Amino acid sequence: MESLRSESILLKDDNRDHIRLNIPDDVMQVLQNPDKGLILAGGHFGNWEIAAHKLSEFKPMAGIARKMNNPYVEKLIQSRKARRRFYPIPKHGDHAGRLMEVLNTNQILALLFDQHAGEYGMMVDFFGHPAATFKTTAMLHLVTRTPLCYMECIRTGTMQFEINSSPLIQLEPSGNKEVEIRSILMRLNLELENSIRKDPTQYLWGHRRWRD
Amino acid sequence: MNENQKEESILAKLKDILQESCPEVEDWSSFGPSTTIESLGLDSLTILDLLYDIEQETGVHVEANEVVTFQSIGDINKLLLVKGG
Repeated sequence: MESLRSESILLKDDNRDHIRLNIPDDVMQVLQNPDKGLILAGGHFGNWEIAAHKLSEFKPMAGIARKMNNPYVEKLIQSRKARRRFYPIPKHGDHAGRLMEVLNTNQILALLFDQHAGEYGMMVDFFGHPAATFKTTAMLHLVTRTPLCYMECIRTGTMQFEINSSPLIQLEPSGNKEVEIRSILMRLNLELENSIRKDPTQYLWGHRRWRD
Repeated sequence: MNENQKEESILAKLKDILQESCPEVEDWSSFGPSTTIESLGLDSLTILDLLYDIEQETGVHVEANEVVTFQSIGDINKLLLVKGG
């Protein structure tokens, strides 16, 4: 419900009373640099929608969104005004070139990496158990060399949010694709675990990560 | 190495890379410049895989505006010939 009501704070010119930003210097430099794109990786934790709209104040941001199964919810979502500079890319329109174009034009690409990836994923530990994890985030970082960080938006009170970012995720190139992907996904899963440990009630547990 | 030999060499590399990325494709006998991306069933992730492998194998970095123009193996081949010198 808060997400639906969030326009009232997101459309304010100054919403610092509602949304606090904790962003390390290296990520802030990328956000403020018009010549750099950024990959924001996150999980279904807290209020990711608010984070997306808030951070699009820095530069345009795209996120992959699928159509809702419930037609009434879909209609409600479609009827909401576009806020700031966030725009969705339909899940079935996520051609690699389209995603790369977002980054090559120095925008932000927000990706939620924590759904069950099935046969397309790489098995990486999540809370100590192997979980099929999507590789797209890691592959986009490796192929485009766009800076990558993990981000969470935690609810701290009524219409109160805190956006926290990791520093940029740095990777020592090894020339071994599997090793590099695994290293990035392990780091992202670890960051998400840390978010969830802070407040397990803010995680959307419905994605059944350990199906295999 | 003349142009034809270069082209053959790149095509062979592409075939090696794609055979690993597309295990579901059984018949590679007609693989060549006219093979379409669509016929290989390449999804986003496989294309990213391919770009990573191309860069590792040939040192050529492919940009987004170049990826969206790919329709066939011949398109990739031509680009690698031009960018790879």
